[in-house]
Amino acid sequence: MPVVAKSLLRASFFELTAPVPVAVSHVRDLQQFWSLRVHTADQLIEAGRDLARVNASYALSVQQNSELQSEVSRLEALLNLPASDAYRYENARVVRRDFSGWWQRMVVRKGSDYRIPLGAAVVFSGGVVGRVDEVHATTSVVELISSPGVRLAAVVEGDTHPISYQGGVNPVFGAARGVVEFVPLDIFASAASPKRLVTSGLGGVFPAGLTIGSLSKVGLSADGMFKTGDVQLDPRLSDLTEVTILVPLAPR
Amino acid sequence: MRGTITLFVSLLLLQALLGQANHELAPLHICVFAGGLFVPYAALMMPLGQGMAASILGGMICDAAAPVAFGTHTLLFASAHGLLYHLRARFPRDDPTVQLWAALAANLAFYLFLSYLTVGRSPARGQAWPRLVADLAWSEIAVACVAPWFFALQARILQVAKAEPWRTA
Repeated sequence: MPVVAKSLLRASFFELTAPVPVAVSHVRDLQQFWSLRVHTADQLIEAGRDLARVNASYALSVQQNSELQSEVSRLEALLNLPASDAYRYENARVVRRDFSGWWQRMVVRKGSDYRIPLGAAVVFSGGVVGRVDEVHATTSVVELISSPGVRLAAVVEGDTHPISYQGGVNPVFGAARGVVEFVPLDIFASAASPKRLVTSGLGGVFPAGLTIGSLSKVGLSADGMFKTGDVQLDPRLSDLTEVTILVPLAPR
Repeated sequence: MRGTITLFVSLLLLQALLGQANHELAPLHICVFAGGLFVPYAALMMPLGQGMAASILGGMICDAAAPVAFGTHTLLFASAHGLLYHLRARFPRDDPTVQLWAALAANLAFYLFLSYLTVGRSPARGQAWPRLVADLAWSEIAVACVAPWFFALQARILQVAKAEPWRTA
């Protein structure tokens, strides 16, 4: 069958089945709204007070971030360096999760109607979620970093050597894990003293410094020139309800 | 034609319910595959043309939602449909037990084939199989529980739409 026909059929059947999970996700949001409405005023005041403290710390971080951004821009101009990527943040509700042993994908409630580009990075408060694998009219499909098809260039926090991360270890009743290869021989990590694995910024998809997971075990690879290791991913990846899509402001 | 469309609507409903079930089971790291429910009723009860068309359309629904080459599920479902249709004269196809066993066998075959296709991508293939086996067990249990209800639903929908097999045979 010609590729055009396959693409058309895939898109058509996807859009045919998309309205149901989107409608269910709206109903779920409505259910959550009404369940929050029954909370007493005291409960809401208490929750608001706790959130105010978190918001205050975030507001301080935003001020510091603005200062750091200005400093980075000043240094880039001084050293004649290319500007680092800037992004538009699109928050998207998760419509449907598909976490099988074969792949790990989720459908989110924004698509080409919000100009979501193919391959855009997807993040949450704990770090990297994955990347946009398909874009449809009102939805997008995100492939998670726990999926075997996702490879990232990563670095251990505090180190600059690039490491290859790949998802795909999804145990029964356990949090997803990933695998790293080409780890330098001078990197040591264990379950008692894990190292944070972050994005390297190479490849241009993910900004540098975003958390992928924690490197909990490393061992010598078969050839002895590098190490391989296991990465523990954030357990919250399996029950996310909202994610943020990083849409580059500068077209690629 | 009416039979095909009626069965297609029931398969759309099945896909929607499966998707929601897997959405809720995702935090428990469980996934249920019920591809074996898409084919048996159409293959055992419907005329060849209408049933095969329904199975092919059901395969396309699954292909659209899966990151595999488009046509994988379609080819699997069509092949299973052809095999079941060829064998149906040998069994009491009206018997719900026969339909159930057909669904379980088809589900097992589809799951193993798709696992064989996709496990090569995993960086730790040896560690992938326990999860795959566990999901297969959950899937077979789910198919065993849901199949009688779903096939009865399909029969009822065909009756309401006046598209029963004996009308079109």
